[in-house]
Amino acid sequence: MKVDWVNILAVVIFVSIVVTLILAVASYFAYKVREARRPKTAAELRQEGQAKVFFSEYRPEAPKQ
Amino acid sequence: MTDQQEVPATPPPAPKSVVKRPMRPILQLLISAAIIILVVVATLLLFKYPQKLGPVFITALVVTLASFLLLLVLRHFVLVWFSYLHTRELSREEYPESYPFISIIVPAFNEVEVIQSSLSSLLELRYPYYEIIAVDDGSTDGTYDKMKEFEGNHYGVRVSVYRKENSGKADALNYGVRRSKAPIVVCMDSDSRLTPNSLRYAVNHFRDPHVGAVAGNVKVINRHNLWTKLQALEYIEGLNIVRNAQAFWRSVNVIPGPIGIFRRAAMEGTGGYDSDTFAEDFDMTVKMLADGWKIDYEPKAVAYTEAPEGLLDIIKQRYRWCRGVLQALRKQKHLLTRSEGNITTPLSLWYMIFEGLVWPAMNIFANLFFVWIALIYGMTALLVMWWLLLTILDLLIAVHAILMEREDMSLAIYAVLYRFFYILIIDVCKVFATLEELVGLDMSWGKLARKGRI
Repeated sequence: MKVDWVNILAVVIFVSIVVTLILAVASYFAYKVREARRPKTAAELRQEGQAKVFFSEYRPEAPKQ
Repeated sequence: MTDQQEVPATPPPAPKSVVKRPMRPILQLLISAAIIILVVVATLLLFKYPQKLGPVFITALVVTLASFLLLLVLRHFVLVWFSYLHTRELSREEYPESYPFISIIVPAFNEVEVIQSSLSSLLELRYPYYEIIAVDDGSTDGTYDKMKEFEGNHYGVRVSVYRKENSGKADALNYGVRRSKAPIVVCMDSDSRLTPNSLRYAVNHFRDPHVGAVAGNVKVINRHNLWTKLQALEYIEGLNIVRNAQAFWRSVNVIPGPIGIFRRAAMEGTGGYDSDTFAEDFDMTVKMLADGWKIDYEPKAVAYTEAPEGLLDIIKQRYRWCRGVLQALRKQKHLLTRSEGNITTPLSLWYMIFEGLVWPAMNIFANLFFVWIALIYGMTALLVMWWLLLTILDLLIAVHAILMEREDMSLAIYAVLYRFFYILIIDVCKVFATLEELVGLDMSWGKLARKGRI
């Protein structure tokens, strides 16, 4: 029996493209969901005016005379 | 003494799309979901009712697609040819007897896993005369303490460590550059590792007084799963070969974050890195090109970087790159039509638009088109021919790039998987990122979690 390689390959390519597109859209959506659930960073909190300053500059006192 | 330096009073302005008050995450998610649904529905309708579009439109689509494929083939051959010419040119170069003093700027934000490895690699450089300036950008994870262990003099190499309030990578780089006095400045990422001879090769390009910067060769270090191996190939085949070809014309359009070597005067002339885009490296490159500086590429100046190891992290990185490039393009859009005697700047920007916007959309469309005609008209041979053509092209380019860089030949086989699904996933991400940038959806830097592989 002669194997129709073109058709077999076409089916493989077809399935891979369709599955990849579905996977790509789904994973992009999953990324957006993950980002939405992510705790806000200090920079984002600062932008919203809710940030606590986590780093305060250290300045040594002037030496006593 | 160094942690008592002045701290910038106010952080630099945020990118345009984040200047306004941020949206609630759930609202952002809903907008993203709406964009996704709209695109999917529009695509399905386009292929379900093509006759509604009219014969002229259908003909235009087919002609566009054919032109795209032709352009793709041409692009591959042009890239291979110019990268070969540049490599041949480099092989004739002579290396200097003396070397200029160099400052290496290492900005870091929450990089506790990798910072010591990165700084150690810098102390192993085979370069006679350099200093390291490490800037902690307000980390909260102990990065600064790890950096502090390196502070001091290491056999003639001075390591200075600074700490400042968190204000972004661009600002941290400027902070470091301001504290250096060297004529040549190296800007790198804290998750990168330079190879010992990288700077010796790179500084040679500055013998030409018109060269303002040299892009290094970035390679993936953590090649242990499918995703990182695909990225390793992508860096060699997709990114480095493009830089190598552009370097023949001395107009590389992205100096990569992991290794960029700058002439200090050129950098100062641009006013330093701007914080108003998420692609500060591309933005800086465009500013230098606009100032008339030449930008070269040195394949032997290698920096190893840690690539994201999972699909969602890859999407996160590419989303930021894509939107960052669009922000920089929008900022410099006046350069698209104004050459001011230097044609390479508008050409570089148009090339970025082509690669960043047109290409991904066309690739997705071409995939859908060939699947559609195979399904509706039974033209399976056309689908196979088209796919084989692209895969063979990818494979040839991969082999060429791997041979040129003397890389691991086993990566070539991933060129098939690269075409099979990887590039399509990246392109889908780029299209959605473009739409979100056009809509003006909020975004944040989105730092990737490091595994400490470098």
